[in-house]
Amino acid sequence: MERAMADQLEALHPDAFGWALHCCAGDHARAEDVLQNAYLKLAQDRASHDGRSSFKTWWFGVIRFTAHEEFRRLRYRESLVGKLLALFIEEHHPAPSRQVEKDERSAELRRCLVQLPARQAEVLHLVFYQDLTINEAAQVMRVGLGTARQHYERGKARLRTLLQSDSHHE
Amino acid sequence: MNDHDLRSLFARQRQRDQENAPAWRPELLNRPLKPQRSSLRWLPLSLATACVIAMALFFADSPKHDAKLSELPPLLDSPPGELFASLEPAFTAFEAPSDFLLPTHLNLHIP
Repeated sequence: MERAMADQLEALHPDAFGWALHCCAGDHARAEDVLQNAYLKLAQDRASHDGRSSFKTWWFGVIRFTAHEEFRRLRYRESLVGKLLALFIEEHHPAPSRQVEKDERSAELRRCLVQLPARQAEVLHLVFYQDLTINEAAQVMRVGLGTARQHYERGKARLRTLLQSDSHHE
Repeated sequence: MNDHDLRSLFARQRQRDQENAPAWRPELLNRPLKPQRSSLRWLPLSLATACVIAMALFFADSPKHDAKLSELPPLLDSPPGELFASLEPAFTAFEAPSDFLLPTHLNLHIP
Protein backbone atom coordinates (compact mmCIF):
# COMPACT_ATOMS: atom_id res chain seq x y z
CA MET A 1 0.00 0.00 0.00
CA GLU A 2 1.17 3.47 -0.78
CA ARG A 3 2.73 5.39 2.04
CA ALA A 4 0.59 8.47 1.33
CA MET A 5 -2.60 6.46 1.59
CA ALA A 6 -1.48 4.85 4.85
CA ASP A 7 -0.78 8.31 6.24
CA GLN A 8 -4.22 9.52 5.24
CA LEU A 9 -5.83 6.50 6.84
CA GLU A 10 -3.87 7.06 10.04
CA ALA A 11 -4.94 10.71 10.17
CA LEU A 12 -8.57 9.73 9.61
CA HIS A 13 -8.51 6.76 11.97
CA PRO A 14 -10.21 8.41 15.01
CA ASP A 15 -12.95 9.96 12.86
CA ALA A 16 -13.33 6.73 10.90
CA PHE A 17 -13.89 4.93 14.18
CA GLY A 18 -16.49 7.54 15.18
CA TRP A 19 -18.27 6.97 11.88
CA ALA A 20 -18.10 3.19 12.26
CA LEU A 21 -19.47 3.60 15.78
CA HIS A 22 -22.39 5.58 14.40
CA CYS A 23 -23.02 3.00 11.66
CA CYS A 24 -23.12 0.29 14.36
CA ALA A 25 -25.55 2.22 16.60
CA GLY A 26 -22.92 2.82 19.25
CA ASP A 27 -21.77 -0.80 19.54
CA HIS A 28 -18.05 -0.46 20.25
CA ALA A 29 -17.06 -4.07 19.49
CA ARG A 30 -18.97 -4.19 16.21
CA ALA A 31 -17.55 -0.83 15.17
CA GLU A 32 -14.04 -2.20 15.67
CA ASP A 33 -14.87 -5.25 13.55
CA VAL A 34 -16.36 -3.12 10.80
CA LEU A 35 -13.37 -0.81 10.71
CA GLN A 36 -10.97 -3.74 10.66
CA ASN A 37 -12.87 -5.36 7.78
CA ALA A 38 -12.80 -2.06 5.90
CA TYR A 39 -9.01 -1.88 6.37
CA LEU A 40 -8.72 -5.44 5.11
CA LYS A 41 -10.65 -4.49 2.00
CA LEU A 42 -8.02 -1.86 1.29
CA ALA A 43 -5.17 -4.26 2.03
CA GLN A 44 -6.65 -6.74 -0.43
CA ASP A 45 -7.33 -4.09 -3.08
CA ARG A 46 -11.02 -4.89 -2.92
CA ALA A 47 -11.69 -1.16 -2.67
CA SER A 48 -9.70 1.56 -4.32
CA HIS A 49 -10.03 5.32 -4.48
CA ASP A 50 -10.69 6.46 -8.04
CA GLY A 51 -10.34 10.17 -7.29
CA ARG A 52 -13.91 11.11 -8.15
CA SER A 53 -14.52 12.28 -4.59
CA SER A 54 -12.28 13.29 -1.72
CA PHE A 55 -10.42 10.52 0.06
CA LYS A 56 -12.39 11.04 3.28
CA THR A 57 -15.74 10.88 1.49
CA TRP A 58 -14.75 7.73 -0.34
CA TRP A 59 -13.31 6.08 2.78
CA PHE A 60 -16.43 6.83 4.80
CA GLY A 61 -18.51 5.32 2.01
CA VAL A 62 -16.45 2.12 2.25
CA ILE A 63 -16.95 1.99 6.03
CA ARG A 64 -20.68 2.57 5.64
CA PHE A 65 -20.98 -0.20 3.06
CA THR A 66 -18.93 -2.58 5.24
CA ALA A 67 -21.16 -1.82 8.22
CA HIS A 68 -24.24 -2.63 6.14
CA GLU A 69 -22.68 -5.90 5.00
CA GLU A 70 -21.88 -6.78 8.59
CA PHE A 71 -25.41 -5.92 9.66
CA ARG A 72 -26.93 -8.15 7.00
CA ARG A 73 -24.64 -11.01 7.98
CA LEU A 74 -25.51 -10.63 11.64
CA ARG A 75 -29.21 -10.46 10.95
CA TYR A 76 -29.13 -13.86 9.27
CA ARG A 77 -26.81 -15.37 11.81
CA GLU A 78 -28.71 -14.30 14.87
CA SER A 79 -30.85 -17.07 16.24
CA LEU A 80 -33.10 -17.07 19.24
CA VAL A 81 -30.38 -18.78 21.23
CA GLY A 82 -27.89 -16.17 20.06
CA LYS A 83 -30.13 -13.37 21.19
CA LEU A 84 -30.65 -14.96 24.59
CA LEU A 85 -26.92 -15.46 24.93
CA ALA A 86 -26.26 -11.85 23.96
CA LEU A 87 -28.77 -10.66 26.55
CA PHE A 88 -27.07 -12.78 29.20
CA ILE A 89 -23.61 -11.52 28.28
CA GLU A 90 -24.72 -7.89 28.24
CA GLU A 91 -26.37 -8.29 31.62
CA HIS A 92 -23.27 -9.71 33.24
CA HIS A 93 -20.57 -7.94 31.25
CA PRO A 94 -21.79 -4.64 29.85
CA ALA A 95 -20.49 -3.91 26.36
CA PRO A 96 -17.62 -1.41 26.16
CA SER A 97 -19.91 1.08 24.44
CA ARG A 98 -22.13 1.06 27.49
CA GLN A 99 -19.20 1.15 29.85
CA VAL A 100 -17.50 4.13 28.34
CA GLU A 101 -20.61 6.20 27.79
CA LYS A 102 -20.46 7.89 31.15
CA ASP A 103 -20.96 11.36 29.71
CA GLU A 104 -24.69 11.84 30.12
CA ARG A 105 -25.04 14.41 27.33
CA SER A 106 -23.25 12.17 24.84
CA ALA A 107 -25.42 9.24 25.87
CA GLU A 108 -28.51 11.39 25.47
CA LEU A 109 -27.43 12.50 22.01
CA ARG A 110 -26.82 8.91 20.93
CA ARG A 111 -30.21 7.87 22.34
CA CYS A 112 -31.94 10.59 20.35
CA LEU A 113 -30.00 9.83 17.17
CA VAL A 114 -31.09 6.20 17.36
CA GLN A 115 -34.71 7.35 17.34
CA LEU A 116 -34.25 9.27 14.09
CA PRO A 117 -34.66 7.61 10.69
CA ALA A 118 -31.28 6.20 9.65
CA ARG A 119 -30.68 8.64 6.80
CA GLN A 120 -31.44 11.66 8.97
CA ALA A 121 -29.12 10.43 11.72
CA GLU A 122 -26.39 9.73 9.15
CA VAL A 123 -26.47 13.15 7.58
CA LEU A 124 -26.47 14.88 10.96
CA HIS A 125 -23.51 12.82 12.13
CA LEU A 126 -21.57 13.51 8.93
CA VAL A 127 -22.25 17.25 9.04
CA PHE A 128 -22.01 18.03 12.75
CA TYR A 129 -19.62 15.35 13.97
CA GLN A 130 -17.39 14.87 10.92
CA ASP A 131 -17.57 18.46 9.66
CA LEU A 132 -18.48 17.41 6.15
CA THR A 133 -20.58 19.59 3.89
CA ILE A 134 -24.07 18.39 2.98
CA ASN A 135 -22.76 17.68 -0.51
CA GLU A 136 -19.97 15.46 0.86
CA ALA A 137 -22.45 13.76 3.18
CA ALA A 138 -24.66 13.06 0.16
CA GLN A 139 -21.70 11.40 -1.59
CA VAL A 140 -20.98 9.20 1.42
CA MET A 141 -24.63 8.24 1.68
CA ARG A 142 -24.97 7.81 -2.09
CA VAL A 143 -28.01 10.04 -2.33
CA GLY A 144 -28.64 13.23 -4.23
CA LEU A 145 -27.86 16.63 -2.76
CA GLY A 146 -31.53 17.59 -2.54
CA THR A 147 -32.39 14.41 -0.68
CA ALA A 148 -29.50 14.88 1.72
CA ARG A 149 -30.54 18.46 2.37
CA GLN A 150 -34.09 17.34 3.09
CA HIS A 151 -32.85 14.65 5.52
CA TYR A 152 -30.60 17.24 7.13
CA GLU A 153 -33.37 19.79 7.75
CA ARG A 154 -35.92 17.27 8.95
CA GLY A 155 -33.37 15.47 11.08
CA LYS A 156 -32.21 18.65 12.72
CA ALA A 157 -35.73 19.70 13.62
CA ARG A 158 -36.58 16.25 14.96
CA LEU A 159 -33.35 15.98 16.91
CA ARG A 160 -33.99 19.31 18.60
CA THR A 161 -37.45 18.18 19.64
CA LEU A 162 -36.14 14.87 20.94
CA LEU A 163 -33.30 16.50 22.88
CA GLN A 164 -35.65 19.02 24.45
CA SER A 165 -38.23 16.43 25.44
CA ASP A 166 -35.46 14.20 26.75
CA SER A 167 -34.09 16.98 28.96
CA HIS A 168 -37.63 17.79 30.20
CA HIS A 169 -38.10 14.18 31.29
CA GLU A 170 -34.92 14.26 33.39
CA MET B 1 -31.34 24.92 20.75
CA ASN B 2 -29.57 26.29 17.67
CA ASP B 3 -27.01 24.84 15.26
CA HIS B 4 -24.18 25.97 17.49
CA ASP B 5 -25.56 23.98 20.44
CA LEU B 6 -25.98 20.94 18.28
CA ARG B 7 -22.45 21.28 16.97
CA SER B 8 -21.03 21.52 20.48
CA LEU B 9 -23.01 18.44 21.51
CA PHE B 10 -21.60 16.48 18.61
CA ALA B 11 -18.11 17.83 19.31
CA ARG B 12 -18.36 16.55 22.84
CA GLN B 13 -19.43 13.14 21.62
CA ARG B 14 -16.60 13.15 19.12
CA GLN B 15 -14.11 13.90 21.87
CA ARG B 16 -15.50 11.03 23.97
CA ASP B 17 -15.35 8.61 21.05
CA GLN B 18 -11.80 9.57 20.19
CA GLU B 19 -10.69 8.99 23.77
CA ASN B 20 -12.03 5.46 23.51
CA ALA B 21 -11.07 4.72 19.93
CA PRO B 22 -8.80 1.73 19.39
CA ALA B 23 -5.20 2.59 18.66
CA TRP B 24 -4.09 2.90 15.07
CA ARG B 25 -2.49 -0.37 13.96
CA PRO B 26 -0.77 -0.10 10.59
CA GLU B 27 -0.31 -3.86 10.48
CA LEU B 28 -4.04 -4.10 9.71
CA LEU B 29 -3.27 -2.86 6.23
CA ASN B 30 -0.81 -5.64 5.56
CA ARG B 31 -2.43 -8.55 7.30
CA PRO B 32 -3.73 -11.27 5.02
CA LEU B 33 -7.45 -11.78 5.03
CA LYS B 34 -8.68 -14.35 7.47
CA PRO B 35 -10.77 -17.03 5.83
CA GLN B 36 -14.39 -16.04 6.19
CA ARG B 37 -16.50 -18.40 8.18
CA SER B 38 -19.43 -18.97 6.03
CA SER B 39 -22.24 -21.42 6.44
CA LEU B 40 -22.26 -21.78 2.64
CA ARG B 41 -18.69 -23.05 2.58
CA TRP B 42 -19.77 -26.62 3.33
CA LEU B 43 -22.82 -26.52 1.10
CA PRO B 44 -21.34 -28.22 -2.03
CA LEU B 45 -19.75 -30.99 0.04
CA SER B 46 -22.97 -31.56 2.01
CA LEU B 47 -25.02 -31.68 -1.18
CA ALA B 48 -22.64 -34.17 -2.80
CA THR B 49 -22.71 -36.42 0.27
CA ALA B 50 -26.50 -36.27 0.42
CA CYS B 51 -26.73 -37.21 -3.27
CA VAL B 52 -24.41 -40.18 -2.81
CA ILE B 53 -26.38 -41.43 0.20
CA ALA B 54 -29.71 -40.98 -1.61
CA MET B 55 -28.47 -42.88 -4.66
CA ALA B 56 -27.06 -45.66 -2.50
CA LEU B 57 -30.38 -46.04 -0.67
CA PHE B 58 -32.35 -45.99 -3.92
CA PHE B 59 -30.32 -48.71 -5.55
CA ALA B 60 -30.18 -50.81 -2.39
CA ASP B 61 -33.98 -50.88 -1.95
CA SER B 62 -35.15 -51.05 -5.56
CA PRO B 63 -36.19 -54.54 -6.93
CA LYS B 64 -33.75 -56.15 -9.26
CA HIS B 65 -34.71 -55.62 -12.86
CA ASP B 66 -32.10 -57.84 -14.36
CA ALA B 67 -34.10 -61.08 -14.03
CA LYS B 68 -33.23 -63.49 -16.78
CA LEU B 69 -35.75 -64.25 -19.49
CA SER B 70 -35.34 -67.95 -18.87
CA GLU B 71 -36.67 -67.47 -15.34
CA LEU B 72 -39.97 -66.05 -16.61
CA PRO B 73 -42.97 -68.46 -16.40
CA PRO B 74 -44.13 -69.89 -19.77
CA LEU B 75 -47.31 -68.06 -20.72
CA LEU B 76 -47.87 -68.59 -24.43
CA ASP B 77 -46.13 -71.82 -25.04
CA SER B 78 -49.28 -73.83 -25.90
CA PRO B 79 -49.36 -75.09 -29.52
CA PRO B 80 -51.74 -73.35 -31.87
CA GLY B 81 -54.99 -75.23 -32.30
CA GLU B 82 -58.69 -74.88 -32.85
CA LEU B 83 -60.09 -71.82 -31.03
CA PHE B 84 -62.79 -73.60 -28.95
CA ALA B 85 -61.10 -76.93 -28.81
CA SER B 86 -60.60 -76.76 -25.11
CA LEU B 87 -64.32 -76.24 -24.40
CA GLU B 88 -66.36 -79.18 -23.31
CA PRO B 89 -68.75 -80.58 -25.94
CA ALA B 90 -71.65 -80.37 -23.50
CA PHE B 91 -71.17 -76.58 -23.25
CA THR B 92 -71.29 -76.08 -27.01
CA ALA B 93 -74.29 -78.37 -27.40
CA PHE B 94 -76.30 -76.68 -24.65
CA GLU B 95 -79.57 -75.12 -25.69
CA ALA B 96 -81.68 -73.06 -23.40
CA PRO B 97 -85.45 -73.76 -23.30
CA SER B 98 -86.18 -70.22 -24.47
CA ASP B 99 -83.86 -70.35 -27.46
CA PHE B 100 -86.81 -70.83 -29.78
CA LEU B 101 -87.97 -67.29 -28.91
CA LEU B 102 -84.89 -65.75 -30.41
CA PRO B 103 -84.78 -64.99 -34.10
CA THR B 104 -83.00 -67.66 -35.95
CA HIS B 105 -80.20 -65.44 -37.14
CA LEU B 106 -79.27 -64.56 -33.56
CA ASN B 107 -78.62 -68.12 -32.55
CA LEU B 108 -74.99 -68.83 -32.40
CA HIS B 109 -73.74 -72.07 -33.63
CA ILE B 110 -70.37 -72.80 -32.30
CA PRO B 111 -68.66 -75.22 -34.58
